[in-house]
Amino acid sequence: MAEIVLAYCASHAPMMSAARQAAPKEQGDNFFRALDRIREQAVERGVQACVVLSNEHFTNFFLENFPQTCIGVGEKNWGPTEEWLPIDKVWIPGHPGLANHIAERTLASGFDPAFSHQLELDHGIMTVYYELDHDMKLPLVPIVQNCAVPPLMPVRRAYEFGRALGDAIRSYDGLARVAVIGAGGLSHWIGTPRVGDIEEEFDRWFLQRLERGELDQVLDMPDSEIELAGNGSHEIRSWLAVAGALAPTNSRTLAYEPIYPWITGMAVAEFDTR
Amino acid sequence: MRLRLGPRRRGSRGHAAAATGRASFDAGRYELTDDERAAFESKDVAGLYQLGLHAVLLNRFCRAAGYSRDDYRKLLEPFGAPEERKGRWQR
Repeated sequence: MAEIVLAYCASHAPMMSAARQAAPKEQGDNFFRALDRIREQAVERGVQACVVLSNEHFTNFFLENFPQTCIGVGEKNWGPTEEWLPIDKVWIPGHPGLANHIAERTLASGFDPAFSHQLELDHGIMTVYYELDHDMKLPLVPIVQNCAVPPLMPVRRAYEFGRALGDAIRSYDGLARVAVIGAGGLSHWIGTPRVGDIEEEFDRWFLQRLERGELDQVLDMPDSEIELAGNGSHEIRSWLAVAGALAPTNSRTLAYEPIYPWITGMAVAEFDTR
Repeated sequence: MRLRLGPRRRGSRGHAAAATGRASFDAGRYELTDDERAAFESKDVAGLYQLGLHAVLLNRFCRAAGYSRDDYRKLLEPFGAPEERKGRWQR
C-alpha cells in the first residue's frame, strides 16, 4: 500500500514566479528556502507521485457548471495556462491509477467529487508543483476545489474530504511513496478595494492552529468570518484538506512572510510523515 | 452576481488549442446589459465592480486591460466600506 511520505502546504501567489525579484530579498529567500528543503526531501524520500489540492480560478469551470471538488484522473494535464507565467507550458503527467482510486474511495466515503480527464492547470497548482519538480515530470494528481464562488464547501467538509483522501491514498497498492500538497492562501484580497492588503494576524493565528492541532477553531468558522481575512483566504480549504489527510499530525511552519509586493501572506508548512 | 451567460470564452480543448493559449475575449458573445457592455468597452473598472462582476474575474480583467493592482486599487478604494466586524483571531 502507498504511504504518504511527504505532506506540506504552500501559498501560491503567481508573482512568486512572475515577479520573484519584487519581494524583499530576505522574505523571498526565506520562502523559497523552505520550498527548496521540501524539494530535497521529495528526492530523499523517493516520492513517486504527488496529489496537489488547489482552488479553481475560472480556469476549468464557469458558473454554469462549478463543482466543489474535481479530481484530475487523466493521463496528462496542461499547464500553466497563464501565458505570462514564466514556467514552461507542458503536458504534466497524471497518474490515472491513483486518481481513479481516490475518486472511487472518496465516493465510497460519502463525498461526491467531480472528475476530469483533462484539466488545465493555472498558477494555483503550477507554481507550487514547479518548485517541487523543476523538470515537471513527477506524476501529478490535481484536485481542484471551489474556493471562490458561493456557496462554498464548508471548511469542515473540506477537512473531512482530506481525511477520506488520506485514507484513499494509503489504500492504493499501485505506488509506495506519495506526496500530498495543499497550494493556496494565506490571506489576500483580489478584485476588491482591499487588493494588496494582508491580514498578518489571521495568517499567524491559522498557522498556530495547525501547529497546535486546534483545528476546531478554524473548522467552525463561517465563510463570512473567513472573508474578513480576504476573499483569497477561502483557499485555506486546500490546507485543511491536507491537515485532514494527515490527521492527527500537526504541522510545522517552515516559513511565513507577508510579502506585500506579492499581495499575499506567503507560508510553507509541513506535516511529519514519519 | 448575475448568471446570464452566453457561450463560454474558452476554445476547443486539445494540444493545439492549449499550446497556442486561449482565444481573445469577445464580449459580443455574451448577453450583457447596456451598462455592462459600456463598462466593459470603456474598461470602467469601478463600474464593473459596482455592477457585481466577480472579484476573480475583475482581477483578470484588470490584468488584461493593463491595470496594475496598485492602479485598480486606487479606482476601487472609494467603494470600500470600513469593516467593523472582527474575526476570532482579532479578539
